[in-house]
Amino acid sequence: MPRSPGTRLKPAKYIPVATAAALLVGSSTLFFVFTCPWLTRAVSPAVPVYNGIIFLFVLANFSMATFMDPGVFPRADEDEDKEDDFRAPLYKNVDVRGIQVRMKWCATCHFYRPPRCSHCSVCDNCVEDFDHHCPWVNNCIGRRNYRYFFLFLLSLSAHMVGVVAFGLVYVLNHAEGLGAAHTTITMAVMCVAGLFFIPVIGLTGFHVVLVTRGRTTNEQVTGKFRGGVNPFTRGCYGNVEHVLCSPLAPRYVVEPPRLPLAARLKPPFLRPELLERAAPLKVKLSDNGLKAGLGRSKVPGPDSLTLGEDSIHSLDFASEPSLDLPDYTPGGLHAAYPPSPPLSAADTFSGALRSLSLKAASRRGGDHMALQPLRSEGGAPTPHRSIFAPHALPNRNGSLSYDSLLNPGSPSGHTCPAHPSAGMASYRSPYLHPGAVGDPPRPPPRSFSPVLGPRPREPSPVRYDNLSRTIMASIQERKDREERERLLRSQADSLFGDSGVYDAPSSYSLQQASALSEGPRGPALRYGSRDDLVAGPGFGGARNPALQTSLSSLSSAVSRAPRTSSSSLQADLANNNAPGPRPGSGSHRSPVRQGPPSPPSTPRSPSYAGPKAVAFIHTDLPESPPSLAMQRGRIGTCSRGWGRRGQPRVPPGLHLCHLGLPEDRPPLRAPWSPAARAPPRGAMCRLHSAASSLFPSLSGPERDTK
Amino acid sequence: MTQYRPQEDLSKRFWVHNLQELRRSASLATKVFIQRDYSDGTICQFQTKFPPELDSRIERQLFEETVKTLNSFYAEAEKIGGSSYLEGCLACATAYFIFLCMETHYEKVLKKISRYIQEQNEKIFAPRGLLLTDPVERGMRVVSFLAVLCEGTELLTSGLPGEDPQK
Repeated sequence: MPRSPGTRLKPAKYIPVATAAALLVGSSTLFFVFTCPWLTRAVSPAVPVYNGIIFLFVLANFSMATFMDPGVFPRADEDEDKEDDFRAPLYKNVDVRGIQVRMKWCATCHFYRPPRCSHCSVCDNCVEDFDHHCPWVNNCIGRRNYRYFFLFLLSLSAHMVGVVAFGLVYVLNHAEGLGAAHTTITMAVMCVAGLFFIPVIGLTGFHVVLVTRGRTTNEQVTGKFRGGVNPFTRGCYGNVEHVLCSPLAPRYVVEPPRLPLAARLKPPFLRPELLERAAPLKVKLSDNGLKAGLGRSKVPGPDSLTLGEDSIHSLDFASEPSLDLPDYTPGGLHAAYPPSPPLSAADTFSGALRSLSLKAASRRGGDHMALQPLRSEGGAPTPHRSIFAPHALPNRNGSLSYDSLLNPGSPSGHTCPAHPSAGMASYRSPYLHPGAVGDPPRPPPRSFSPVLGPRPREPSPVRYDNLSRTIMASIQERKDREERERLLRSQADSLFGDSGVYDAPSSYSLQQASALSEGPRGPALRYGSRDDLVAGPGFGGARNPALQTSLSSLSSAVSRAPRTSSSSLQADLANNNAPGPRPGSGSHRSPVRQGPPSPPSTPRSPSYAGPKAVAFIHTDLPESPPSLAMQRGRIGTCSRGWGRRGQPRVPPGLHLCHLGLPEDRPPLRAPWSPAARAPPRGAMCRLHSAASSLFPSLSGPERDTK
Repeated sequence: MTQYRPQEDLSKRFWVHNLQELRRSASLATKVFIQRDYSDGTICQFQTKFPPELDSRIERQLFEETVKTLNSFYAEAEKIGGSSYLEGCLACATAYFIFLCMETHYEKVLKKISRYIQEQNEKIFAPRGLLLTDPVERGMRVVSFLAVLCEGTELLTSGLPGEDPQK
């Protein structure tokens, strides 16, 4: 198999277009040189003029059809598909004028293809309003250049008709001397034109029908609207008008922004509640809340506490906003955090506040210190109203992880309530430190491919990127932890009993993750996903008990619910040392992927995944994956692709791809073939090496075809 | 412990060179994506459904107004009317050489849209810690809001590379 089939086929790609161009230009030139002079004299000077104009039109449209960007979608940025769940389906339905249209997930381009968009395998791009890939112009025909292609066909047909007709006139008038050079050449030109006459006219007619019906070649050929209604039609006239007269659509290639963004994002930020409740948001700090008698019912606890006045002030400050008191206390602190929560959360708010302010008062006693926890607490009720839950929780929950990140010694991070200022600092610092410590003027890796080039998804060489992903991973971990706990209660299965593993060494594992992923194999983050973070330490983790927990935590950090089972299974099956169940898992997963009927988000995925995960762990890796061809559509996204789009049950850690392991930690593959030495650092798993050889544009950091 | 330096942290700034860098550093931020609305076919319009993630960040009405304005801009860009006819005819007549000199109608509207987005970012979204990205950068498939997460962070976005971040 050639190492780079693309480069080898390149000359062959140009043969049809070269032939077409040569024939077109050659024949027309001969016609003009040999036939037209006599026609000018005998018939009219308008003949060559007419033919000349038609020929120019043909050339112009041919050039436009050949060289114009058909409407290529740039590859989606990594952050865009992070929003989708790992259980996201392969298809998404969308309603177009009352008709359900299916949008398919493009594994190469990482987005759901818009309606009428299709991925061209020749150009390796998703093209908008994809018609077909035309070899005669060596280009895809899509939204932007369909008009030129259509006009090319029309004008070429007209040109051929003209050439044949006038050639016939010439020949008929020179019938006596058919051996003459001019006549022979005219006849040869007529033959060429006549040879291509039927196909071209046929194709032109076909496209005229398509245009009037408002369909693309792709839709016609695949029979999408056979017997059904075409939701994209605008009526006959509307369709023709759309093709011929619509404005030229822009290219979607990302260029450096012409207008620099001059937006300054500086806190304090406005909030809708703040703006709405500007009037009622008045708090008495000067007054002793006890005497005011306002809202005491909300905060019954503190009344009984013997706190200093400062604390009572703070309590006042916190509890009163929920009661819409008329008094107003100025302060940037107020504006800086979301004000009074709705009354439903006020109890929790005040309850939490109670504990916080009590501790704060007892430890610090200062007014501003007592206010600090309020600031963090002020954010606490917001999650109930925002789905940003892990993200909008910068304070307590966030600082738990951040504390743990920065404080390996205190993983649980429950120091936050006790050290509010510390909590705040650690809450802030993970954001600022990476940027401060890292390189602020970091060269941005180009995330969008040029129209014709493969997307250079090179890894971020800077640690900042890694670290921030671990932050996100820790946020996700927390979220998963909660979800897992919920599931565990419903499961009550001993198999998931080691959930305790996840909690403790989270910080350690995260640090390990960043340490490991920051190894010399920078391409570890080639696909820029947290899965790689998981995969690396996870792989070696099965051997190393210290890392085993990191594996579990990380896999829980990265995975959504369905991965919970696999990660716990990994902890369980560490001794099995099953490195790459991907082939098996692929075939296992394919039933899930193959049909839209199968519910994409399996509600009981952990239980479902349980026995299956065990099953594919025992799959024999060395045989080449039989379902590789089946996976074709999904190959190319490495661990991301495997773990997502309806393939939730892959154990994320058992994948060596793209990551280098420390040499002292033998990979899981070793017991497989005890005689073989450890694979080289950063060696890819076989599946991905096979995949990368099939799809060189999607290759990993190194490809060793096996 | 080196991480407890609130004063120092507050003084640190991010200087972002362009939107791409902002995205790189915007792991501090969460992104909210507004998808295309295909209910009317393949014309470019975005869903006006208010995403729940922005619930606490921006008023519903402002958001809807922004998206509706964007939709109207795109409708104007794609409108088949007098100007597009003329443009097509002119292009045909000049064998499409006119495209080398002139900007198409769509591109003109796109420029208008970017100016509008920038203006909106300055006036409305940045004070709320949000940043709206131009959909054309993502192939017009999606509009994204970058919601700055951390209140202690200051993000200054500018198009000037090479600025000293310590200024």
